[in-house]
Amino acid sequence: MTRSTWKGPFVDGYLLNKADASRASGRSEVIKIWSRRSTILPQFVGLTFGVYNGHKFLPVQVTENMVGHKFGEFSPTRTFTGHASDKKAKRG
Amino acid sequence: MAEQRILMGVIGRPHGVRGLVHVHSYTADPADLPEYGPFRDDRGRTFTLAWASEGVARVMEIVDGREVKLTDRNAAHALVNVRLYVDRDRLPPTEDEDEFYLTDLIGLRAVTPEGRDLGKIDMVHDYGAGTSLEIGRLILPFTRACVPVVDLAGGTVTVVPPVEIEVPDDGARDEEAAE
Repeated sequence: MTRSTWKGPFVDGYLLNKADASRASGRSEVIKIWSRRSTILPQFVGLTFGVYNGHKFLPVQVTENMVGHKFGEFSPTRTFTGHASDKKAKRG
Repeated sequence: MAEQRILMGVIGRPHGVRGLVHVHSYTADPADLPEYGPFRDDRGRTFTLAWASEGVARVMEIVDGREVKLTDRNAAHALVNVRLYVDRDRLPPTEDEDEFYLTDLIGLRAVTPEGRDLGKIDMVHDYGAGTSLEIGRLILPFTRACVPVVDLAGGTVTVVPPVEIEVPDDGARDEEAAE
């Protein structure tokens, strides 16, 4: 068994508590976090986190496909906005 | 809205000696750019283009209703940095009522259900974790819960700011301070 397998995914513990509390409340809320290093776990699916990028908290709506990635991957610290042209946004 | 121009691309440096140019496409799929033609530039000239290879196109100027091809490198060089625009009404209607063009969303006024003005939409973010709207210092997810009404004709979106919970990174900072 490799070291990374037996150690398991890293996640800051307080995120788990806060995610449980948020899920229990049933409200639509954004959990503001600084922990970009934490792995996205299956119990976070359906929640919305505001992940700090050093400047602002970007909303991250967690879906199944994001499990196993880190929060920081979805909140870039350097942003290139580009041009709108024919690009579309879908309301979730 | 019909008179609104949208920047779709920019003509870049010449390619070879036969009038081909590099074209920087800003469309979602760069290959789709020629389908939006004909394009207008800042001086009112009209162009069409056809891809010759990846990122390289043959540009034709429309003069008196007929297409005039660029035949040499000098003619191509004269078009460097020409911006290619189309009118907003050239974009096809969206397939879904929950789908919007970024160009339509940016600039809309955001108001609360009580009618309080929050400012206008400055940017639309999408980094793979859902779309979000930046309204002044407020950034909120583009969901039906947070943005229940999008009134493009009226130029407003109704915004319900979500409840925000802060989770301070206390543990990590204490560890770093101890080191």
